[in-house]
Amino acid sequence: MAGSYLDRQLNIADYALSGFIRRLGRNSVVVFIFALVIFMVASFSLTTTSLKHSASRLLTTVPDITVQQMSAGRQAALSVTVIEKLDGIFGIRSMEPRVWGYYFDENNGANYTVIGHANFSDKARIAGLGIDFLPALKLDADADPAVLGRGVRENLELGERRTFSLFRPDLSVQSFITVGTFSAETSMVTDDLIIMDLDSARELFGLGPDDITDLLVDVANPLEIDTIADKIGERLAGVRVVTSERIKKTYRVAFGWRSGFGLACLFGAVAAFFIFAWDKASGLTPAQQQEVAILKALGWHTEDVITLRFWESLIISALAFCLGYLGAWMHLLFFDGILFRPLLLGWSVLKPPLSLVPVFSFADLLLIFSLSVLPYLAATVIPAWQSATIRPDSVI
Amino acid sequence: MKIELHTVEKYYNRGAHNQVHALRGIDLLIDASETVCIHGPSGSGKSTLLAILGGIIGPTCGSAVIGGKKMARLPDRFLTLYRRQHIGFIFQRFRLIPELSVLENVTLPLLPLGIRPADRKKRGRELLQRLEIDHRKDFPAAEISGGELQRAAVARALINDPSVIIADEPTAHLDTRLSEDFLTIMTDLKRLGKTIIIASHDPLVSASPVVDRCLYLRDGLLCAAS
Repeated sequence: MAGSYLDRQLNIADYALSGFIRRLGRNSVVVFIFALVIFMVASFSLTTTSLKHSASRLLTTVPDITVQQMSAGRQAALSVTVIEKLDGIFGIRSMEPRVWGYYFDENNGANYTVIGHANFSDKARIAGLGIDFLPALKLDADADPAVLGRGVRENLELGERRTFSLFRPDLSVQSFITVGTFSAETSMVTDDLIIMDLDSARELFGLGPDDITDLLVDVANPLEIDTIADKIGERLAGVRVVTSERIKKTYRVAFGWRSGFGLACLFGAVAAFFIFAWDKASGLTPAQQQEVAILKALGWHTEDVITLRFWESLIISALAFCLGYLGAWMHLLFFDGILFRPLLLGWSVLKPPLSLVPVFSFADLLLIFSLSVLPYLAATVIPAWQSATIRPDSVI
Repeated sequence: MKIELHTVEKYYNRGAHNQVHALRGIDLLIDASETVCIHGPSGSGKSTLLAILGGIIGPTCGSAVIGGKKMARLPDRFLTLYRRQHIGFIFQRFRLIPELSVLENVTLPLLPLGIRPADRKKRGRELLQRLEIDHRKDFPAAEISGGELQRAAVARALINDPSVIIADEPTAHLDTRLSEDFLTIMTDLKRLGKTIIIASHDPLVSASPVVDRCLYLRDGLLCAAS
């Protein structure tokens, strides 16, 4: 007469589903709140993963070694003649001088990052930052060519115009002509960026003709980066030698700290929800108590009632998980993670209009599932044991 | 199935200030296929006696031997199995789950047995047809009449094909015609060889030809038999 274990489970699951539908109004509230909690955690996690992915993709273009002069603990100008001092180090493929600094735009209250490259237009192509070059113009002899980030372009309100001016330290005006714009995919690192020729940057920052801020070193064998960095440090006094791995690590730490902080804040909401779920599962309504007593009088074991509670909780949590996780993806896909982007990208003056590239990570999915569905099952099934032990004689 | 009770005592809250001595030294033998009516005033211990006979609770002292098995010593798990396999219970006020359909209510005892939905529904529909309420099978229990509720409760009690039917005040909330209908159903079940135990105040039940024997219970004591 008795069917298989699987059939028994399916029957009880079927009954749990019909119970869920019967109490749809009440259950919808729980599903909505739970889905909201999962949405917040999943959105945060997906946005962080997506940002980390975008950052690591863009950071592949970071030079192997960056050399900077330090003076009194702060960065100072470096003479381009250091190239000659490093010439003899075996393993260095190439060296490029660079001028790098911030330009404060008083009118808009924004900082732009200015990078001056030797032969910058070629270098910009090589750098892989995705420049959309504008049609060539007959260059004005007084205007220096520059490539702009989208945020800078908007801030300067250029519209269709190609020329703009920035102030030198002596408040004289230096004119530029836009030759290209960075693509939206690279906005995270290029939104506030202006790239120009090395000499133009020197002029804008009032540096001497031999001054640079960084020396970018390209190493032939990636395994030798640390060794060569050590050698550079030994040859040049008072310099800071930064390897690409260290820069990537800094990014990872920055994102890790921010996402950790955000998750800690969200933990309060998650914990509050589980306390609510525990409380709800501990106190059954008289109708629910009577239902349990009827089921037991009709031959249901205590374990059958606990199984019923398990399936009820699984239906609620799985539905909430699907809704919350789907909502998080939509938040990322259609709204660019707008809720958590300010927290995760808080260091930038110009907020990059990121089009985040969603990255599916099975580890993330598993983590969110483990942090939501499993605790909910525990928070509801454990107290359900007490209600499942209601004696059947209460229906007599 | 033969049922024997030997000097059964039942206390609730034993030793506490609100102790209730519900049954006092009950000795009872019910033969297989016998129909017994237990009557007596409210609070006389009828429901408690039915609960012990139905394996819902165990006695405090004494022994209950049902189908050759000593129930008093059985843990809850085995009492549940006993109810599942041998007992069909018709509760006072029928105790159907109001939001479930009649068919769902009737097939509830089959769910933990792992019987597949199609078989469950087939069996439930057949019973409802036999009891002439199959036209109400999809109605929520909250929306059917008292007589239909009673028939649904009988159908639920019969779904496991039990050998013992226990009914607690089955006609208490019904008019005479519906009470007579109920007794007709019991007559049919008696013909099928079921042991039937009915607790009732209703003289219509105790006087019914379906009843082989009437027992009178007062203050937990089995006083007389007729």
